[in-house]
Amino acid sequence: MKKISLVSIVALMLAQSCTKVNENVYDKYAASDFYSSPTGSDVALAGVYAKIAGNWDGNGYAGADNGWYDLNSMSSDEQVVPHRNTGDWGIDNAQLYTHVWLPTHNTINQAWNWLYRAIFSANLAVEQLTKANAEASKIAEAKVLRAFFYYLLMDDWGSVPFYTENNITIDQLPQKSRADVYSFVVQELVANVDKLSANKGGQYYGRFNKWAGYALLAKVYLNAQVYTGTAKWAECLTACNKVSDGGFTLHPGAANASSPLGYQYFELFGDVCPEDETILAIYTKLDIVGRNILTIRSLQGPHFNALFGSSGWNGTVVHKDYVDRFDNNDIRKKQYLSGQQPGGVNYSTSISSLDNPGANREDGIRDTKFYPVAPINGGGASNDFPIYRYADILLMKAECNVRLNNAATGKPFIDQVRARAGLNPLAANPTLDDIYNERGFELTWEGHRRQDMIRFDKFLLPHDFKAVSGAFRKLFPIPTSALNANKNLVQNPGY
Amino acid sequence: MRSTRKLLAAFIPLLLFFLCHQVSAQSRTIKGTVSDEKSQPIPGASIAIMGSTNGTAADSLGHFTLMVAPSAKTLVVSSVGYTKQEIAIANQTNVNITLLSSSSIGTEVVVVGYGTARKKDLTGAVSTISSKDLNPGPSTNPLQQIAGRAAGVNVIQTGSEPGAAPGVRIRGITSLIGGSDPLVVVDGVQGNLDLFKQVPPNEIESVDVLKDASATAIYGARGAPGVIIVTTKKNKNGRSSVEINSSASVDVIAKKLEVLNATEWWQEAQKWNVPASENHGANTDVFNILTRNGFTQNHSLAFGGGSDKSSYRASVATILQNGIVINSNYKNYIGRIQAVQKAINDRVTFTMNLNGNVSNTLGSPSGVGRAAFTSNLISNAYVARPTDPVYNADGSYFSDPNVFQYINPYAVSQTIKNEGGSNNLFGSLRADVEILKGLTASGFGSWRKTDNYWGYYLPAASTISTAIDNKGIANISNNRADERLLDIGLNYKKTFGNSRFDALVLYEYQTQVYQGNYAQAKGFINDITTYNALQNGDLSKVTPGDVSSYKNDRNLVSYLGRVNYTLRDRYLLTASLRRDGSSVLGVNNKWGNFPSASVAWRLSQEPFMEHQKVFNDLKLRVGYGMTGNQQGLYPQRSTQLVNSSGVTYFGGSQITNFVISQNSNSDLRWETRNQTNIGVDFSILDSRLSGTVDVFKATTKNLLFNYTVPQPPYPYPTILANVGSLLNEGVEVSLNYLAIKSRDITLTLGGNISFLRNRVLELSGSINGLPLNTDYVGWGSNSYLIKGKSIGTFYLLEHKGITETGAETVVDRNKDNVIDQGSQSPDRYFAGSALPKYTYAFTPAISYKNVDLSMVWRGSGGNKIYNDIRSNLSRLENLGKSNVLKSAVGLGLFTTQYGSDLWLENGSFLRFENLSIGYRINTRNNKYIDALRISATGNNIAIITKYTGIDPELSGGYGSGSGDGGIYPRTRNFSLGINVIFK
Repeated sequence: MKKISLVSIVALMLAQSCTKVNENVYDKYAASDFYSSPTGSDVALAGVYAKIAGNWDGNGYAGADNGWYDLNSMSSDEQVVPHRNTGDWGIDNAQLYTHVWLPTHNTINQAWNWLYRAIFSANLAVEQLTKANAEASKIAEAKVLRAFFYYLLMDDWGSVPFYTENNITIDQLPQKSRADVYSFVVQELVANVDKLSANKGGQYYGRFNKWAGYALLAKVYLNAQVYTGTAKWAECLTACNKVSDGGFTLHPGAANASSPLGYQYFELFGDVCPEDETILAIYTKLDIVGRNILTIRSLQGPHFNALFGSSGWNGTVVHKDYVDRFDNNDIRKKQYLSGQQPGGVNYSTSISSLDNPGANREDGIRDTKFYPVAPINGGGASNDFPIYRYADILLMKAECNVRLNNAATGKPFIDQVRARAGLNPLAANPTLDDIYNERGFELTWEGHRRQDMIRFDKFLLPHDFKAVSGAFRKLFPIPTSALNANKNLVQNPGY
Repeated sequence: MRSTRKLLAAFIPLLLFFLCHQVSAQSRTIKGTVSDEKSQPIPGASIAIMGSTNGTAADSLGHFTLMVAPSAKTLVVSSVGYTKQEIAIANQTNVNITLLSSSSIGTEVVVVGYGTARKKDLTGAVSTISSKDLNPGPSTNPLQQIAGRAAGVNVIQTGSEPGAAPGVRIRGITSLIGGSDPLVVVDGVQGNLDLFKQVPPNEIESVDVLKDASATAIYGARGAPGVIIVTTKKNKNGRSSVEINSSASVDVIAKKLEVLNATEWWQEAQKWNVPASENHGANTDVFNILTRNGFTQNHSLAFGGGSDKSSYRASVATILQNGIVINSNYKNYIGRIQAVQKAINDRVTFTMNLNGNVSNTLGSPSGVGRAAFTSNLISNAYVARPTDPVYNADGSYFSDPNVFQYINPYAVSQTIKNEGGSNNLFGSLRADVEILKGLTASGFGSWRKTDNYWGYYLPAASTISTAIDNKGIANISNNRADERLLDIGLNYKKTFGNSRFDALVLYEYQTQVYQGNYAQAKGFINDITTYNALQNGDLSKVTPGDVSSYKNDRNLVSYLGRVNYTLRDRYLLTASLRRDGSSVLGVNNKWGNFPSASVAWRLSQEPFMEHQKVFNDLKLRVGYGMTGNQQGLYPQRSTQLVNSSGVTYFGGSQITNFVISQNSNSDLRWETRNQTNIGVDFSILDSRLSGTVDVFKATTKNLLFNYTVPQPPYPYPTILANVGSLLNEGVEVSLNYLAIKSRDITLTLGGNISFLRNRVLELSGSINGLPLNTDYVGWGSNSYLIKGKSIGTFYLLEHKGITETGAETVVDRNKDNVIDQGSQSPDRYFAGSALPKYTYAFTPAISYKNVDLSMVWRGSGGNKIYNDIRSNLSRLENLGKSNVLKSAVGLGLFTTQYGSDLWLENGSFLRFENLSIGYRINTRNNKYIDALRISATGNNIAIITKYTGIDPELSGGYGSGSGDGGIYPRTRNFSLGINVIFK
């Protein structure tokens, strides 16, 4: 029996020492500890900006594919990736272009998911910065970022689930009407924009400073009539004037052999967006922070290869009708390529088909607005992307004035932009169509086109491959996966 | 390996000591023969002297010689499968002993986990496969040896890539992501299927498969997917032996896909307006260039010896495989040693096992090809245009810059380095101490270490675009695991009158630590150093993700108890309870209890059955048990964690970005599987026909899955949670018929069939108290998890036709003129499931004098396969950039925007898996050789199937995916083998 007790004692001792089943974490941080540290709260703010750079799987504002940028560009008339009869590319982008998208569309889903991930990180940043008693400007910055994301959501989907605190549960997650989201965005911006730093460049490059904040507010007011039925042209103008206080000028457009495409104008879309004109930019460094695929996606394999040493994707084209609207003296027309190119490629200006049987390999005019800057590889280039720049603000000023029946006051603003592009001033006071067209020339491929087409009532009209579309197409459908996951959501009408 | 050597060095003197420890006494010699009722010798029968520890074993002809002391009165003769006999020897010097064979459910011993049981005492569903029933021929993995041998155990070999292990499912898919791989226990050491790579196929004594929960519940949290227990050969007491097994096989490609040749391709391409610029004028058969005849060798040497107090067995084995695709091979070297020593008046027994292996793999590159079709290298051979040359005129590899992400498969095979290896070691020590009569204390400790590395170099010359962009990419990953287990237990056995009682209590502690690192460099000035000198790369090109490391661990604490009670050898009861705690679960659910109970009734032993003539044996079994599953759950999954995620730009510089990498779920818990099993074991016709029928129903509750959650409020789009439930129910029948048993001829007909029905009962539920509705979750190619349907149910658009322009049309089922391709679209219909409904095998064996012949026919059916590779290689729109199947020409499909049922095929098959013929050469008069057998084996000799792909045995059969994206070809092998046992 002694032996039994001995064995039992040994067993018990071992059992005592080995009864713990706590989890050990060696290679990650626990979220609760991490964000409550002072470094963590700063990192939370930096993490919101990490959401903006474009990357695979629909992440980011612009620069990569199948996300917010594609949704808002391919659904307009300025660019499309056709299915090719060589078997390349699906028909998903053609579906956006011809307005036949369904709630299951991948790009719609990915853009939606991206925005809610971004809102979560913005909420987190607001919460952590407030807890850590961070500088007021940083808290304001996080709130402005959040307002930016809600503005993008409201712009594309109208009434959307709304929350500002991450510990909320699904049943407390109401779908706010488009007008309510609009009010929130406006209030939040008005309350916070003045708290933002007035510094430009340096450590504020790629961040919401005061001027970027006002540019955003101006954008929201500019489209207020679309969102709420009530126009806010005067308020938009005021906000634009606030931006002007930041001392912005148009970047020169002069011919310059060392500039991309031979003109200083195209430096706006180069390695670093120039400080004189750029209000808010996305910093991009290929494979490190985001990517910019806009040109490699457009050019054909051997063409891009001859120029930059990687194979192009032979994707995005621009319809001839769009390109033909440019004046031949317009330096901005240089971004388009057709005909014989290096690498033995010869782009035709026509596009035989978008979906079935698909375009021929060399069909379509290509775009090089974001003329690639190093590092470059088969996954894209490193061009920064301007979210807001002063030319846009000038055209908004012109538009507001025209809308407020002060066309003469608006004329110098549009003429400034035209002059930089090598064009003569308008012969007469600008009309809304003049503004619309000028925006199309100046801001194409910068993610504004869908919003502009809707504001100028052009979105539903037929063009090239697209037939007239139903009014419900002005809003995207809430993705099926979001409806499946949250039964409280009401789908937009028409879908 | 250095540590192995040290241990061996310590062991060898000890072993030598045991060997020298000869028994000597005043004695005489008894000679004799042990044979069965048919006068066939019983090799290996054990002959012991009652009251002594002295004994020997019969040789291959049943002969034995034994020194006996004058006091010896009785011999005890026994052998597995025969009834033990006691024989008085008086003064005899020559005895001939006839053992009566016990029925198939006789005294056979079955390993049941933490102990053994007599087969006739079993109350649960356990399949036992002894070494003589393992599939013969050269095997590279022990799972291949049990394929088709046990009902309800489905072994699935996908392709024949060297070193690729088969998958196995016991009674179906038990979990979606929690792991459906059974627990593998090799001589007490617990592990995953990788453990099989450390077991030499020739060194297996028996394989026991625990199928129902009443049997597996003893393994609690690791028992839900079933348990495979491997017992390796031990040396028979008092006998030394040297055994050599050697075999070599030639492997040929059983089937390849038929694609167009150069002439056919150009003809077809012209029809579809492919410009002449796409025809590069060569005539290349890339598939042929990339393949060869494979060659597989298996060699093993085993030896052992010992006395009555100690024994050892050591073996080395080598498996060498040259794949049928060039530059793919696998080498596995295994060494093991086992020693048993008794001490302190035989009351203490030590058993030590040490097992190490080194394996090296040269892998055929996977994940190559264009974004639209990424597969293994050999599948890209079908894609390559036959008119593309392999080389340019200057001797460099051909590439076409006009084709997006062009790859030249031959360049890939010649230039990519893709190789790795592993060094694995496990050792265990068991001590059994008999404290009182019937009461045994035991301690068991095992330690397993695995160390894997993989090196990869992708040079620009490979023609792969990312390699060209980066001027070469090299990376190395190292992964280590360290798994330790400790058992301390007490076992009490007692017979009171008509009752037998066997009780076990045990404490178990397991700790598993996983660590690893990964490094990558890009931008090499030449390709000489491949992945061996990452520092030669351009370090300014380092991007996030190029350097990483990890560490995590898992601890399991368990208390378990089991009671076996037998009354009058007729009424049998087994009950067990296991309590497990696991570190990987949420704080609210760290512990779980796993009970089981089963009863059996041996009707044939009842007095009222005494006069019936039908049944020689009849047993009814009923069992119920609950098991858990957490092994598929990786550590650190229950809390909200922050992980670095690339780089962001903030404050004017690039800084490391941190993100929340998962949602928290403090309720994360085990999957639990409740299983009921009812079975009958019988033996009729003078025990010539024996069989087992089992019916079972198993429900997995708290089903683990990465559920999609709404992004407000969740920071991460999925959450790992226990929400759904899953049902598997089935019937298993196995029969064994001794059709002919005469002096010269034995014919046995064996077979089994299992029917299995799988159903997703529920996918919705609540997480953290909130309702979650989920259904139609993608699972493979166009197949889904749908409530009320089987896993991998195809929900598809129905192919209607092909238009004049070559576009596919599909049926608009809801007639709204819109083809909705969403997963829940009303335009889709249910078209079957990826899981087989039934599997079966037929295993006849015949022996005539010295010749034996055995076969394995194996099949499964009732499932569908989505032939993705046919879909990819059938669209004529791709002609400009790739080749197509011959069948695509007749189909005339130019393009399609649908994943329709056009590519869905019947996955049923019957395979002539194995044919083996052996000849036992008479060595009666040979001084050195005890037994000699030569054999010839064919594997995968034929297959009957309607499936048009390479082979219908695909991963969809074990629950991962449902499609065929192209596999490494399945081989057909023909081998010759020799088995020699020296005297």
